Amino acid sequence: MISFKDVSLIYPNAERTILEELNFEVFEGELVLVIGHTGAGKSSLIKLINGLVPHHTGGILSGEITVAGRSTRQLKPGQLSDVIGIVGQNPINGFVTDIVEEEIAFGLETMGIAPEVMRKRVEEVLDLLSLAPLRNREIASLSGGEQQRVAIGAALVLNPKVLLLDEPTSALDPIAAEEVLSILHRLVHDLGLTVILAEHRLERVIQFADRIMRIGDRGDVSIGTPGEILAHSPIAPPIVNLSKAFKLPEVSLSVREIRRRTESIRNVLQDIPLPQPAADNNGEVLLSLRKVSVAYGDKYALTNISFDIRRGEVVALMGRNGAGKSSLLKSAVGQSPIISGEVLISGKDPKNMDGKALIKHVGYVPQEPGDLLYGESVKDECLLADKDNGVAIGTTLAIYENLMEIPNINAHPRDLSEGQRLGLALSVILSANPDLIILDEPTRGLDYVAKSKLVKILQNLVIDSAQNRSVVIATHDVELVAEVAAKIIFLAEGEIVANGPTRDVLTASPAFAPQVTKVLAPAQWLTVAEVVNALGESAI
Amino acid sequence: MQLVHPLIWWLWALLLATFVIRADNILIAAAVACAVTLVVVKLKSDNYWSKSFALSVRLALLIIVVRMLIAITIGVPMPGQILFRIPSITLPNWMVGIRIGGDVTSQRLISTFHEVIIIATVILLCGAANSLASPHRMIRSLPRAMYNLGVALSVATSVLPQIVKSIGRIQSAKRLRGQKTRGIRAWRGIALPLLEESLERALDLATAMEARGYGYHGKTTKYRAEPFTFIDLVMIASGVYLVLLSATLLSHFGVVVLALFSLVIVASPIAMVKR
Repeated sequence: MISFKDVSLIYPNAERTILEELNFEVFEGELVLVIGHTGAGKSSLIKLINGLVPHHTGGILSGEITVAGRSTRQLKPGQLSDVIGIVGQNPINGFVTDIVEEEIAFGLETMGIAPEVMRKRVEEVLDLLSLAPLRNREIASLSGGEQQRVAIGAALVLNPKVLLLDEPTSALDPIAAEEVLSILHRLVHDLGLTVILAEHRLERVIQFADRIMRIGDRGDVSIGTPGEILAHSPIAPPIVNLSKAFKLPEVSLSVREIRRRTESIRNVLQDIPLPQPAADNNGEVLLSLRKVSVAYGDKYALTNISFDIRRGEVVALMGRNGAGKSSLLKSAVGQSPIISGEVLISGKDPKNMDGKALIKHVGYVPQEPGDLLYGESVKDECLLADKDNGVAIGTTLAIYENLMEIPNINAHPRDLSEGQRLGLALSVILSANPDLIILDEPTRGLDYVAKSKLVKILQNLVIDSAQNRSVVIATHDVELVAEVAAKIIFLAEGEIVANGPTRDVLTASPAFAPQVTKVLAPAQWLTVAEVVNALGESAI
Repeated sequence: MQLVHPLIWWLWALLLATFVIRADNILIAAAVACAVTLVVVKLKSDNYWSKSFALSVRLALLIIVVRMLIAITIGVPMPGQILFRIPSITLPNWMVGIRIGGDVTSQRLISTFHEVIIIATVILLCGAANSLASPHRMIRSLPRAMYNLGVALSVATSVLPQIVKSIGRIQSAKRLRGQKTRGIRAWRGIALPLLEESLERALDLATAMEARGYGYHGKTTKYRAEPFTFIDLVMIASGVYLVLLSATLLSHFGVVVLALFSLVIVASPIAMVKR
């Protein structure tokens, strides 16, 4: 269906080739997963297939790419739209209309399909993606998962043979991700659609993949079955690490498979006592919400929220898209329209503090860490932060160096990888030395390696620092929560539905359980590290 | 549900702008500005592009203030009653006719005010069209034969609303760094990331359109017919009528009547159009 012959890609003025001498073939009805570090070229590869690279972005391409017998060399992406559908990283930016039904019809309109035929096609796609109840809704009012489904529907309406998706679940909560992935699975199996999917969160997609394509850091690409590739890849989901820890002859990819193979180990683990939960924290209260309600116009985002964050805690804020996580975090820095109740930061209302005073108490890294950065280079940014925060010159840079290996001190913050940019934003915040650090969706776009770095950084912030800071993270990333958080506050429709130790909250709900828990249930283990520790002690 | 076609909103705004400029009267301009504000307040939706009107109001106010300040400090000497005097700087000979400081006459202030009110009204009209016409529906009604122009226009019409969308986010991020969010220096910090992001989003849109075959096929069809309605006709007709009226010479009394008349006419979509 898709074939690459000796394909190399380089962008003008780039220091390295993005892809080198790539040869592969994808057959009809395959679901191929593309993995690799952030910035390795996953998006480029996806866009190469339908010609957006290089036709739309520039870049020098050699070799030959054919899709369903047509070469992308002469054809522009628009001329391939009947063979290839593509869903970009932020579907909301790519919507051309306001209403679900019209969005799905757009591709047909541009092709000049007769209205009667169009009506039928739209109807089919609406049914296929279970969008019929939403057909007249405004796209902007839909949840993330629903928007993703609309984008897939809009791409499918022209009956393409190939569907390309760039990180379709990275912004979604686990339930919405499940929704989208099960639809993809059905399309592959029922319609024989060929799907190429780039994704960081392997734990979500790995069970659906027929083959994996791993892009290395030097543009080298290896292709094989998931088992072959993941056995040697530093990028691997917890389930693969678990099978390695159990020394299974081959890596398992689904919960069912690994459970079948590990019955005896599971029985052993059942009897090992779980790690003791940390003693009750009686530290000083850093952030306190008392019966807080937040409303935008007449829409309530939060109702009657009360909780405390104490010194030395890592608390995860979870819940579905639109449950009120961001509103809650913003209320801690005085940026939510609070209509009743009070928010106290170390005993004071953040609304009455000026910016300079506020950043000494709370450091907030927004969803787009780049929003915080406006220097011309990493060096410039660090100097600006020193000046803003009134600390000695070089402090911020030293913090950054401490957090991670610094890329290039003269690079523009926009050119950093997601992980490096997050690190820079975090350093800028940390140089003001706040007690409480708030992160909104920090792992979007981070690969496993960057994520495990983040986990270490966060643990150091809390445990190793003499200051005993606290961290609040809003995230969909169950695996991250399992690793770092001691406590979870779970929101639904603006109300707290659970507030307790991580182990209790995560194991209580199957949708939000981490992979290790699913494998080892009913024992309540959360992470691979925990299991390895426990097994080490009992010396199998 | 009765909707006005986005092209009609733009055409209506352009006709009204022509009317305001040709009438060249402060009272009429003020009446149109009021009526348009009313229309936007009553008819705007909750979508992000609706917020571009607020931005145009700010821009209009800024222009009024800046222009008046310039009128006070710099300018061509004009006869009239001297209101007050500020210290003046003597400029070299070759800049004769221009001065900085000196006498401020009522005549000069009035004529500047007159001119700037008309400019501000035209800006408000553009802002109104931007916030009433959905950029998405606008894109679809653009001629597809001119592919590159179509993409360029679609990118251009979606940039302003995107900017509005991003301003709030970036401003709140500034506060998170302990920065002032007001003042010119703060704006310098906001402008660059804002522009980058808006262009990025607009390009995303162009990419998505391209990938879905926009502009590659000669004949296109409509999923839902969008016929011209009676309201469209009334809006265009009233605009043309006002432009024609502006050509007639009017007495003082006539100006007041025309101002009131245009207030009613311009505000009339409120009665006809449903949100």
